[in-house]
Amino acid sequence: MSGVTDHPVLDPALAPPFPAAALPVLRNVQLRKNVAHAIDVIQAKRGKLVAEKTDWQELRTAAAAIKDETLANLGGYLEQFEERCTAAGGHVHWAADAAEARRIMLEILREAGANEVIKIKTMTAAEIQLNPFLEAAGVRAYETDLAEIILQLGKGEPSHIVVPALHVNRAQVREIFARTMGLPDLSDDPKGLTEAARNYLRQKFLEVPTAISGANFLVAETGGVAIVESEGNGRMCLTLPRTMITLAGIEKVVPRFQDLEVMLQLLARSATGERMNPYTSLWTGVVPGDGPQNFHVVLLDNGRSSILGRKTERQTLRCIRCAACMNTCPVYRQTGGHAYGSVYPGPIGAILTPQLEQLRHAQSLPFASSLCGACYEVCPVKINIPEILIDLRARVTDQERHTVGKFFDPLYVGLRVANVIFSQAWLFHFAQWAGRIGAKLVTRRDGWIHALPSVGAKWTQTRDLRGLPKQTFHEWWRERKTAGRQVSGSASQRVGDAVGGRETK
Amino acid sequence: MSPVTDSRKSVLERIRAATAGKAAEGHADIPRNYVRRGDMTVSARHERFVERLREYDAEVVECEPEGLAAAITAVLAASGRHRFVAPPGIPAEWYVDAAWKIEGLECTFDHGLETREIEQAEGVITGCFCGVADSGTIVLHHGPAEGRRVISLLPDWHLCVVHSSQVVETLPEYFDRCQVSGVRDQGPERLPKLVTWISGPSATADIEMTRIKGVHGPRFLHVILVRD
Repeated sequence: MSGVTDHPVLDPALAPPFPAAALPVLRNVQLRKNVAHAIDVIQAKRGKLVAEKTDWQELRTAAAAIKDETLANLGGYLEQFEERCTAAGGHVHWAADAAEARRIMLEILREAGANEVIKIKTMTAAEIQLNPFLEAAGVRAYETDLAEIILQLGKGEPSHIVVPALHVNRAQVREIFARTMGLPDLSDDPKGLTEAARNYLRQKFLEVPTAISGANFLVAETGGVAIVESEGNGRMCLTLPRTMITLAGIEKVVPRFQDLEVMLQLLARSATGERMNPYTSLWTGVVPGDGPQNFHVVLLDNGRSSILGRKTERQTLRCIRCAACMNTCPVYRQTGGHAYGSVYPGPIGAILTPQLEQLRHAQSLPFASSLCGACYEVCPVKINIPEILIDLRARVTDQERHTVGKFFDPLYVGLRVANVIFSQAWLFHFAQWAGRIGAKLVTRRDGWIHALPSVGAKWTQTRDLRGLPKQTFHEWWRERKTAGRQVSGSASQRVGDAVGGRETK
Repeated sequence: MSPVTDSRKSVLERIRAATAGKAAEGHADIPRNYVRRGDMTVSARHERFVERLREYDAEVVECEPEGLAAAITAVLAASGRHRFVAPPGIPAEWYVDAAWKIEGLECTFDHGLETREIEQAEGVITGCFCGVADSGTIVLHHGPAEGRRVISLLPDWHLCVVHSSQVVETLPEYFDRCQVSGVRDQGPERLPKLVTWISGPSATADIEMTRIKGVHGPRFLHVILVRD
């Protein structure tokens, strides 16, 4: 893609750590402009529509409770979904991991004799890297969501879970479409570009007899599946083909049809800043004479059940993939999505990806946050992302300090020494005394430490340190007590001075 | 045992192990303090519905029940289109054969039309199950007057007839209407198997978040609101 020099890697097992992956993006002025512009537009729309909803907080509370109750009884609800969906004529498959899901889906496609398939945007399929697998197996996948077409034709990677081509501007889209669709006279007017995509796909919709989708919600009570979309490409894929495969994470289930009254009100407003997205479809198994007559659901675990067992982290699975957290995140705003090295970027990606990888990969992601809490505030299902980030940081650190070779790492040596010093008062006082002597050597005349030697340089590389004060708090306290016995009035005067207070009269 | 059933067992076992322990809160304990019933007057609700539809760029016409056939004919004639499809179950009083002939309008009823035939149509006329004022949403359950999903999808132009008695203020009130006689928990067989919630014409904002009307679904949405 023009303007993007380093092709991003969205496989957590292969992607570089976040700080390294973020560097090329931070240098790419065009990309940062595109991301900031798109985010400003979404945020303004979302802010307006959330503000007009008087029961927004009550909806969030209900949504979080619905998801918590679902997760606490997940096994039962999945079995219920399976039973009802099967009774309605669907086929339900279970995949423990990505490889199994891919294999099941390919088998269904082979049985249907498919060498082409049309796809509704699904991040879950991107998570299991379905497209390259299908291509290698001789099945050509056509993306039908406008953003996904832009990425597929431009050989780009998604940088956002709702608007995957958010980092590409209209001039770049024009270039991709003109080149790949053979339309040299195409203008960069979004209307014309959209029209080009419509024409490009129309025949595919009418001809390709197999489709793949993700799911926004699985309804346990009815065995129904719901998809939330805007363009109508989803409705095309759900209606015209003969065979339809839905890939859904096991956390996508909701207990009752009625629970959608909460979820649908939250999702569109959070995701795109609309009162309601143009189209939401719900279908239940196979309906004779209407839509695909051969319908399969693949329930994907792929690390999700391992998140379920941890109390704090379980919240992660409430996520309804609205992307409000990334739209509000000051880090995402600067880096865009590719730096996260996963199809799930932003704050939700920073907690979801390392957990799906069971902390074998993506360990840098929990640190890719300023912990400002904006993501928690906007989350429609109230996922306390900062809390989970901190918990994951602890787990990553625990994992790291026990690895061979880290024993003599200055950081961990330092922390072990500190552990001993802080446990004994006399050692602590001695260290303070020694520290003040040492600090004198590096403290400049302005009272600041501008450069520490050795490993300390890492700290002072990007910030100055204030020099140590002449007196510790303990020393001051002792002195105050002595002084207080002599002249009680002046001591309180001095406390006022010390804390910067000033009497006004 | 096939590997597939093995995974079913292992996934469920992992889930059960992770969720074992103290009994979870039940579904009935979920706090539902959000707005579940609107408080608008009937006319304010209709006004809101029309206003929200128009914000999506849908065209709205209002009429009295006895003027419906004339209103439909007028909207079809003004569309500049001639070939329409409709579900077989739309009420007879919606169309006046003679008037349509004068305007040169043709309507084919969907008794199992081929996809290609539907694709040839320039527009579609349907009813609906419900309208939601709060979000300007039309809900189809694909019953006899709403038709198969494909007929309200392929034609580029969609006329939906909504009766004011079908319009509720809030989304939860739509879900209440799905339950028979207001009693919840009727079991899955009472709930709709197919639902399409439509909020304005098809749209995208994938290029620089600029909202563009009309991608793959109908580019034009017309609504006739019948005050019944």
